[in-house]
Amino acid sequence: MQASRARLFKEYKEVQREKVADPDIQLVCDDSNIFKWTALIKGPSETPFEGGVFQLAFSVPEQYPLQPPQVRFLTKIFHPNVHFKTGEICLDILKNAWSPAWTLQSVCRAIIALMAHPEPDSPLNCDSGNLLRAGDVRGYQSMARMYTRLAAMPKKG
Amino acid sequence: MESPEQGHLQYISGGDEYTDEEEIKRQEDFATEKSKASAANKNYTILTEEDIFRRQGDAMASVCSVLSVSKTAACLLLHRYNWSANVVLEKWFASEESVRKAVGLLPESTNPVIGMSRSSSSSSFDEVLCRICFENFPPESFYSAACGHRFCESCWKSYIRTAINDGAGCLTLRCPETSCGGAAAVGLDMIGLLASREDRRKYNQFLLRSYVEENRNRKWCPSPGCAFAVEYHSAGGDDDGDDYNVTCNCSHSFCWNCTEESHRPVDCETLEKWKTKNDAESNNTQWIRINTKPCPQCNRPIEKNQGCNRIACLPPCKFQFCWLCLQNWSVHGYNSCNGYKSTTEKLRIATEEEINRKHFNRYTHFYERWASNENSKKKALLDLGRMDGQLEKLSEAQSQPKLMLDFVVEAWKQIVECRRILKWSYVYGYYLSEEEEESDVNVKLPLFVYLQGQAESGLERLHHCAEQELEQFIYGECNFEKFVDFRSKLKRLTRVTGNYFENLVGALKNGLSEVDSNGDHKRLRRR
Ligand SMILES: [Zn+2]
Ligand SMILES: [Zn+2]
Ligand SMILES: [Zn+2]
Ligand SMILES: [Zn+2]
Repeated sequence: MQASRARLFKEYKEVQREKVADPDIQLVCDDSNIFKWTALIKGPSETPFEGGVFQLAFSVPEQYPLQPPQVRFLTKIFHPNVHFKTGEICLDILKNAWSPAWTLQSVCRAIIALMAHPEPDSPLNCDSGNLLRAGDVRGYQSMARMYTRLAAMPKKG
Repeated sequence: MESPEQGHLQYISGGDEYTDEEEIKRQEDFATEKSKASAANKNYTILTEEDIFRRQGDAMASVCSVLSVSKTAACLLLHRYNWSANVVLEKWFASEESVRKAVGLLPESTNPVIGMSRSSSSSSFDEVLCRICFENFPPESFYSAACGHRFCESCWKSYIRTAINDGAGCLTLRCPETSCGGAAAVGLDMIGLLASREDRRKYNQFLLRSYVEENRNRKWCPSPGCAFAVEYHSAGGDDDGDDYNVTCNCSHSFCWNCTEESHRPVDCETLEKWKTKNDAESNNTQWIRINTKPCPQCNRPIEKNQGCNRIACLPPCKFQFCWLCLQNWSVHGYNSCNGYKSTTEKLRIATEEEINRKHFNRYTHFYERWASNENSKKKALLDLGRMDGQLEKLSEAQSQPKLMLDFVVEAWKQIVECRRILKWSYVYGYYLSEEEEESDVNVKLPLFVYLQGQAESGLERLHHCAEQELEQFIYGECNFEKFVDFRSKLKRLTRVTGNYFENLVGALKNGLSEVDSNGDHKRLRRR
């Protein structure tokens, strides 16, 4: 508990310094609870998520960093490795390939990479996975783009 | 009490072509041949933890010396390739590069140090940042695997502790640096240095278990609490893969293939089918009393607390009867009652209800005998377990050295084995009778009933002799001559019963083909 708190505090300070360094990621710690974080990430360019801003919720276990944080999308996203209803993410580093050298920041980077390179063979969103597996890239992209517009873009007045 | 002579004559009823002496001689020869053969062809090896440990050590030593690698490297390699030094060498010489990659061994040229290296670089007194805890420490408190990615001692320790307590995955632990991409393994040497005593013990236990669990030819004995492993040498070619029967040194017998209790003479599928059938019928069979029945003469409830089926009611009734068919023992004797007699006539068309009733009666006939033999087997196992103490008493009572009383233990082992075979033979019988009933033939069943009856009747004698006659010598007076007779009787019963069961198993293994080929079996064909 003490170790995880200390480590999270270091990450917090690091985030303050790096804010300018990575314009695609904005990590914020909950005011009252250092084990709860949220992040805003920008959809990577040249993907159907481009132009969108996606919100992630982090729940950090007491055994962190020996055990991975739980992360899910709060923003609706149409992606084969993200559960459409719960926002749960299927990513190996958040499960068995976790290493304590990952940080919340680098997890965000890994999630951005996953948005750009979906893995249709381990789908949490079957519709989306099926489109990609069937080779219907256009179909997948237009669905994903639609949801990006609907959920991840600020409404224009 | 019947005399041994009477008992003896019964074994060969039906064996009209042999005289007593010839029969015994023939069976003795058969028994010696058989034991010679089974010793030579035993298709499995029992391994203790020490055996496994020694074999792992030998394999590591040979990989170390042939490839000139460290013990840590050898251990990683062997774990990857099912603990076969030959496979390791074969793969290594085929493609060293891909093998190194697979187990996380960096090429020697990149870094001469395999495993741990206490960091010595960082010339100045500058503190170094640990990339896990984000704390600064002096360089000498850092460790790294062969890749050179440094983390502080405390972070390494918690990393390793977590991995070991997470399970056997710790055997393929890699450097935690994310950019390292699992290129460098964390092996024995680092574990030895950075894990607690208790965790090192756990790690070694995982290594030991991996020897058995990651090889298809090895399994742990399924008996609860047994620490032996079994290595199975797959039968080569001609054997039609049927001898899955394994007896562990803990005396548990099991089927290699499905790890259920040994179920000779039925195969694994039949066993599954039977279990499903029993589950489906469990509501209908609850009423079947395996352990208590009313005495057929005085109606008082009798609890069966013995293995053999020759039951006597308490005084004053003292009625003796067969537990399975309830017939008066003076009529029944050691004649077998294993056969199932169908009741409905075939001539008229039976109603559906009658057919169901008939099916159910047939099932309960076999089910009851199956369950009853399981109980007798359990009882016999208990008796075998306390035989050492019993022999102590017997030795005192009859002034016989305990060493000379081994034949009693042999008898009990034979009883356990035979009860188990007999039990499963009823499942064979059930499916055989179903098959013949459906196809309206009656060809193999009579031979089956005959062979099973012979075996069963032999076993009942043996069980009675080892159970009840033995007691008379333990608690009765010392009588050398009677005891000598008893010894030869029990030895003979053990041997003869063993042979009857081998005959039964052998015949069932051949699908009772004796009938097939001859068309009609002289003694057995009935109409
Ligand atoms: Zn550290
Ligand atoms: Zn590394
Ligand atoms: Zn065992
Ligand atoms: Zn089996």
